[in-house]
Amino acid sequence: MSLDTNQSTKQSLDLSPTRLVTPEAPDKSNRLSSTRMGGKMVADYWDNIFTARERGQSVVWYNGSALNPIFQAAGLAWCHGEAFSARLAAMHMEEPAQAAGAEYGYNAELCSYSRTHLGCAVLTQKGTLEKQDGIVGMADQEELAAKLPSPDFFVNAYAGCSTGQQWDAMTYRVFGKELPMMNVSLPMIFGTKPDAGYLRGKEWETTPLYVEKQLHKLIEFIEDQTKRPFDWDALSENMSYIKRASELRIEAMQLCAAAPTPATYWDWVASIAPINFLPANQMLVDYFQAVKDEIEQRIREKVSAVQNERYRVYFDGIMNWNKLGYLTRKFAEHDVAVVAGRYTHDSFWQEPDLIDVDRPLLGMAQHYLICPINHGMKIMEELLLKRCDEYGIDGIAFHSTRTCRAMTNPQQMLARTAERERGIKSFSFEGDVADAAFYKDETLESGLVAMLESIDQQRAKTAQLV
Amino acid sequence: MNTLDPTTFAPLERAAQDPVAYATEWKERTGGLVIGSFPMNFPSELVHATGALPVIVQESRTTITEGRSLLPEFYCSYTRSLADQAATGELEVFDAFVLVDHCVQLLGAADVIQRVIPDKPLHFTQFISSMDDAWSRGAVEEKVQAMRAEVEESTGVTVTDESLTASIRVFNENRRLLREFFDLRRTGRLHIPASALQVLVKSSMVMDITEHTALLQQLLDRLDTLSSAPEHLVRLHLSGHFCAPPRPELLNLLEECDVVIVNDDLYHGSRYISTDVPKDGDPFAALASWYLDRNVNVPCATRVQLDVDWQSYLVDTLADSGAEGVVTLQAKFCEPLMLYYPELRRTLGERDIPELLIETEHEGLAAESIRTTIETFVERIRRQRSKQLLPA
Repeated sequence: MSLDTNQSTKQSLDLSPTRLVTPEAPDKSNRLSSTRMGGKMVADYWDNIFTARERGQSVVWYNGSALNPIFQAAGLAWCHGEAFSARLAAMHMEEPAQAAGAEYGYNAELCSYSRTHLGCAVLTQKGTLEKQDGIVGMADQEELAAKLPSPDFFVNAYAGCSTGQQWDAMTYRVFGKELPMMNVSLPMIFGTKPDAGYLRGKEWETTPLYVEKQLHKLIEFIEDQTKRPFDWDALSENMSYIKRASELRIEAMQLCAAAPTPATYWDWVASIAPINFLPANQMLVDYFQAVKDEIEQRIREKVSAVQNERYRVYFDGIMNWNKLGYLTRKFAEHDVAVVAGRYTHDSFWQEPDLIDVDRPLLGMAQHYLICPINHGMKIMEELLLKRCDEYGIDGIAFHSTRTCRAMTNPQQMLARTAERERGIKSFSFEGDVADAAFYKDETLESGLVAMLESIDQQRAKTAQLV
Repeated sequence: MNTLDPTTFAPLERAAQDPVAYATEWKERTGGLVIGSFPMNFPSELVHATGALPVIVQESRTTITEGRSLLPEFYCSYTRSLADQAATGELEVFDAFVLVDHCVQLLGAADVIQRVIPDKPLHFTQFISSMDDAWSRGAVEEKVQAMRAEVEESTGVTVTDESLTASIRVFNENRRLLREFFDLRRTGRLHIPASALQVLVKSSMVMDITEHTALLQQLLDRLDTLSSAPEHLVRLHLSGHFCAPPRPELLNLLEECDVVIVNDDLYHGSRYISTDVPKDGDPFAALASWYLDRNVNVPCATRVQLDVDWQSYLVDTLADSGAEGVVTLQAKFCEPLMLYYPELRRTLGERDIPELLIETEHEGLAAESIRTTIETFVERIRRQRSKQLLPA
């Protein structure tokens, strides 16, 4: 089955230039066309969520890890908090929710994912009280982009970031403590012992078993909520689709080790939603097959993702959803191909070999623990250097994310490690995950230009030596 | 106002002001190991039971310099200070560090410490922060044992049931004495600066606990208590401010505005001393109980517990202390407090309890601006008082 990549999308992410893009500069980025289908799949998914109550479907709100294969197997409609916040930000529709959060009392320095989503909770709760149908008042819907159906219960499974668990505890309170809630606790893989490393060591061997036990408890909790036995076969089937989609995604990513790269980090950002929370089914597999096919075709036809690729950059930090389209063009404008990143390449079912459809919960637990904000410094360094080697990285762009301390935590140390171990230059720029107010274009521009000049000098020195 | 015996108070004040100097002197005197822990839930008894000195690493008053290139400016003052202390050699006295709290910013600082001073082991054993799950107790008990192993590895000393039980006893006694001061303050029979009370708690976090207890007992023995609370002052409860103490200047400033602090739930205050470790049974399991119990006694925004609420605790404790308003002190960028604050504000607002939020920073204090804000707040409470006295 192939995807119709020419099909028009609705409510897709805004990839158009913002007013900050230099108007006269030509767009030198060449994004994959196959990812457009993802936009439609995501839009359809949310439309389906918004009407879940009309179909009599129970709704779960969750944050953090990709528990959706479990929810899907249980016949639930699932709303991922960060995903909805990211979507609002990418569509430049986050402000009403953030204003509602601010009015409720949430400080602007608080994680913008959480306060956007909590703002949605406030609006949804208000709508619930006003209409008793679980949907925000119709008059507000378009403007506020706050169509989330009110939840029947909450599940939290947040790795790495302490705010993640506390955020849902607050959502629970915004809804008056009247709805059931379940926490799955995910310990950090701190990795300080001599045997510790990525996917190895005693800490790695034991911690997933603890999480797997909690996932069994989660399923009991869901059975209590839905009043029906959990469909284990459906979960295995879901995980088989996830596994295949993940294999295709990773294979496609690895093809981007080619220079010039046939696809960029921004294409992988556009593919986050499908792998992270869309229903596990054949369409998901087909999506990543189409992405991989297009990349292979580009390699055959020598089509590059950035015209005149001269620099290969790694992006560390969470995505700045307000600036997705802008950043795509901005880096390309400087002949920079952003080929990989921590957020895209070390997240989202990135180790398909861990998925065992006959014991799905263990592989899920393992993936939840290898979330890229859930490692100690030693593992972070290992992963960064591995990616730099795999993709022939010349420089690193650190997105110093104002309200996402979890992603920002190791950056200064990682910059030093990259310079010390590989001589890789880097720069930091300020921005945020879902609050455009924190983005500083000047620091990006000056930092990027300085890093590229530094790379040029490094290359010139190397050439002289040769 | 009461006076604390200055001779007895002086060493406590010195230790509170310069914990590193105290630890250095202790180390020279005893030849023992100094183990640094980080707020807010590490059970110091575990280190004490090995004979080492447990010290809760404090925010330094030093201006942050080197630390600025290690953690971004949008981290709380405590974590930025930790990074700076690591980079400027202020943490040299410590032989190892232990941590059980999962706070994203604190873990950032822990990463920095590990990289900047790699020769100092840093052991992280994450206590579950979801407190009321069926498996929470078992998970904490398991982690207490894991931390026991780490502490034993760092000190080379085995923690026995007997040694831990003895340590629990001395820490419980210390907390009991500290609570006496807080109880006297709440009933109005003790009126000392809030900054002095902070010294008593902060010094207990860094000093040899037996030495500290002896000094506390001496202070109590030499204390003349008042017969009643000063009526003309506005009675306030201080809330919030986790991990690091609010600046003494801020506390003094509050009191200069005709305010008496009658109670608090600060970490460097009631929160820290609220709960004893059960003295009977398995002492390691007792440490787990202490961790779980304390969040019931004084709920904390850093923990997740569905069946207790900080705001409910606050309303109850106000009734107990007779506080007429609440000042919430929030270290800038403290995410747990930022998340929880709207719930506090909403609950207090629904009960018409005056509440004021003051944000604090490492770099200083906008004293006159804060003074004006507090004076206005105090005036509001006075007006509310007057209204209540008017005949219906």
